[in-house]
Amino acid sequence: MTAGGMGASPAGDARPAAVLRLALCAGQTLLENGGEIFRVQDTMERIARAYGEEHFHAYVLTNGLFVSVDGGGQLGTTLRFLPQASTHMGRIMAVNELSREIAAGAVPLEEAFRRLDAIRAMPQKPALVRLLACAVGTAAFAYLFGGTPVDAGAAFCAGLALEPARIALERSEVGKFVANLLCAGLVALVSLLCAQALTALGVACSLDAIIIGGIIPLVPGIALTTGIRDAAGGDYLSGMIRAVDAVLVGAAIACGVGFVLTVSSWIPGVMV
Amino acid sequence: MIVQFLIQCTVSFVATLAFSILFHAPKRQYVACGATGMAGWGVYWLSVQLGASVVLGSFFGALALALLTRILSVVCRCPSVVYITAGIFPLVPGAGIYYTVYYFIMGDNDACLAKGVETLKIAVVIALGILAVLSLPRGLFRRLEHRPG
Repeated sequence: MTAGGMGASPAGDARPAAVLRLALCAGQTLLENGGEIFRVQDTMERIARAYGEEHFHAYVLTNGLFVSVDGGGQLGTTLRFLPQASTHMGRIMAVNELSREIAAGAVPLEEAFRRLDAIRAMPQKPALVRLLACAVGTAAFAYLFGGTPVDAGAAFCAGLALEPARIALERSEVGKFVANLLCAGLVALVSLLCAQALTALGVACSLDAIIIGGIIPLVPGIALTTGIRDAAGGDYLSGMIRAVDAVLVGAAIACGVGFVLTVSSWIPGVMV
Repeated sequence: MIVQFLIQCTVSFVATLAFSILFHAPKRQYVACGATGMAGWGVYWLSVQLGASVVLGSFFGALALALLTRILSVVCRCPSVVYITAGIFPLVPGAGIYYTVYYFIMGDNDACLAKGVETLKIAVVIALGILAVLSLPRGLFRRLEHRPG
């Protein structure tokens, strides 16, 4: 998501409108980066109260924000549609800390805007680090799920192939289902090639463990856990959105892996 | 078995730590993220070794994971999503999804159905385990809070 812009120039606003804008911006930052519904709502309300806006109301969904404030004789309402979210824990922590300081009454409004803009501009980890983390992660998971160290090595390769594809697809306009399908297919393909090469060299390996390790970064773990927490907090609609998301992503992974395995089983000499 | 357990713990620690980097967790939380994943997987692995089913083991794993998450989030004054997001991955039934598809393709409908149901059960059970711990009242963890001064 692009940084800056939204929190800009509070100077022209009346105070209730400025507080509304600040709370909205904080809420949006949390939601876009993977915060739970109750945290988004709670943070926005705390911020508004800290700046003296008692009549502040927020309704939060997984993919949308509705907020209104009644102050200074004027009623203001605004909403945001947030179709897709990526995960950035550093930003969530930073907003959490900022909101705590605001609640303690230590942050002037203008400074809060500045700091929020800085948080939204917090960089992602460098691509090389992510690449390595993904490969190490997939290798470790391949081992955990019953693979040998050899399988882990092959899964390392699958992880190396996966992360660039993930980054590229995240930037493109491709939908979530297709993106996950392509990524899973790629993992299956690379795993299959590694397994074939290892078998040709006479080294025993298990294709299952390699592929399972490789698809773990795609598995909808976040949708599952955040969805549960949303539903448990009474945000049933948001919980449903996450649950549907988890099922769709799971199905996409299944299709991607399934397609590659099916096609390769037709090729003579390939053992699936 | 003890050596095996230590290896499993180490590998799950590394795996979860690597994933916390993918989710852009702050550097200071890497170790804590790794520890939550390790707790979940360690308890799961032990339960399965001691004869529990995969589903029951996943439940115990989820309980351990969520408990450590609660403790860490109070001690470090940090939202619990930070830990739970990466920590959940060792327990998530990635293997279940894979085998369900595999048997589907191979035309082994019985095995496909069995794996599919098991995968669903694991997902539900993880959800319940996390939920159970996260809905414990805040007060239980208050004693751990770091009080300045």
